[in-house]
Amino acid sequence: MTSSLRSRVPPGPKPSRQFEMDVLIGYILLGGVLISMTLIVVGLIWRLLRTGSVTFDYRIAGMNMAEFIVAELRDLASAKFRPRLFISLGIVVLMLTPFLRVAASVVYFMVGLRNWKYTVFTGVVLAVLTYSLFLR
Amino acid sequence: MIHPVPFLLAFPVALLAGFIGAMSGMGGGILLIPGLTLLGLDIKHAIAISVLSVIATSSGSASAYVRDHITNLKVGMFLEMFTIVGALAGARITLSSSPRPLYIAFGCVLLGSWVALLIAERKSWRPPEAQDAVSRWLELEGSYPDLALGKTVEYKAHRAYFGAPLMFGAGMIAGLLGIGAGAVKVLIHDLVMGLPPKVSTTTSNLIIGVTALAGSSVYLAAGLIDPGLAAPVILGVVIGALAGTRLLVRLSNRAVRVFFLVVLAVLAVEMVVRGIGGGR
Repeated sequence: MTSSLRSRVPPGPKPSRQFEMDVLIGYILLGGVLISMTLIVVGLIWRLLRTGSVTFDYRIAGMNMAEFIVAELRDLASAKFRPRLFISLGIVVLMLTPFLRVAASVVYFMVGLRNWKYTVFTGVVLAVLTYSLFLR
Repeated sequence: MIHPVPFLLAFPVALLAGFIGAMSGMGGGILLIPGLTLLGLDIKHAIAISVLSVIATSSGSASAYVRDHITNLKVGMFLEMFTIVGALAGARITLSSSPRPLYIAFGCVLLGSWVALLIAERKSWRPPEAQDAVSRWLELEGSYPDLALGKTVEYKAHRAYFGAPLMFGAGMIAGLLGIGAGAVKVLIHDLVMGLPPKVSTTTSNLIIGVTALAGSSVYLAAGLIDPGLAAPVILGVVIGALAGTRLLVRLSNRAVRVFFLVVLAVLAVEMVVRGIGGGR
């Protein structure tokens, strides 16, 4: 049943696909920025309520982006909720937003359009960005 | 660590930079960095914080254009391969550089923006006469719905072989100085590749976010991103940019231009003088 259904679908990209993908990429970007801003605002307000100041005295030192992400996710997983976790997660979400957008574009060109040329191009962008996360 | 710039100063400066940057269309970074260094922040930290805020403003505005089907994803993805490598190289140069040349380079970019703004006159877009084989192979073409004209505009880009290496340079400026360098990118899209103005600005916006990410990864690993300062700055720039975009439609273009010319000139001279004087 499913195979007969599938054979009736014309091969190749559907014209509406690109538009759907544009919308998805748009929402990834918007969602990322909104979540990041919300996390930062929550962190600042919480800090203000708890200490009466919005100053944070901590640094991101001696780790690359990948280690920073892992460290913050570990804090999140062990429920170490405190204002600075929200600030850090805000930065993490912000930096992962374009990354996620590129990853979605790879899938779009590969699965949606079956455009191998652009799958390679977006793949190169994703590879360089991934490499940059592990820079020292 | 004691913050050289307290929240109550950093937030309004970022707000103002985002606001004027969006209103003038030149981006927040170009004003944020001089603003933060005037408050006493070291220029490398200012560049690192700025490049992070560029991700937020560019992603925020790119989201709407992508959803409106104006941005050309293929042109964007192709050119991003060059801008991100440029940004990684540029950020590395900044890390190993002393502050003086950075101040002078920033001053020069401000002066360049000043000249660009002074002579800016939007020529009406004419489609390139023929598409070369490289650009055709790269499928650099598309169409977008132009609401003002009430029709769909079709276009083909050309000279991708010139555009690509130039975009490496644009990415390098972005990574080096922590700005979006949108003006440079738009210039390349317009003059070299022959993209229609709307496609050119919105696609540049998309590229800026990814390019800024490459730059900020380098700065974060170098320990230059101070989260306590990043929080108010990112928030300020984004809120400022939102307000600035709203006001853009209400203020006359001329008033914005004259005001921005004065601000740019003052900041450019200030940065160059500071660079010559020792970078402090």
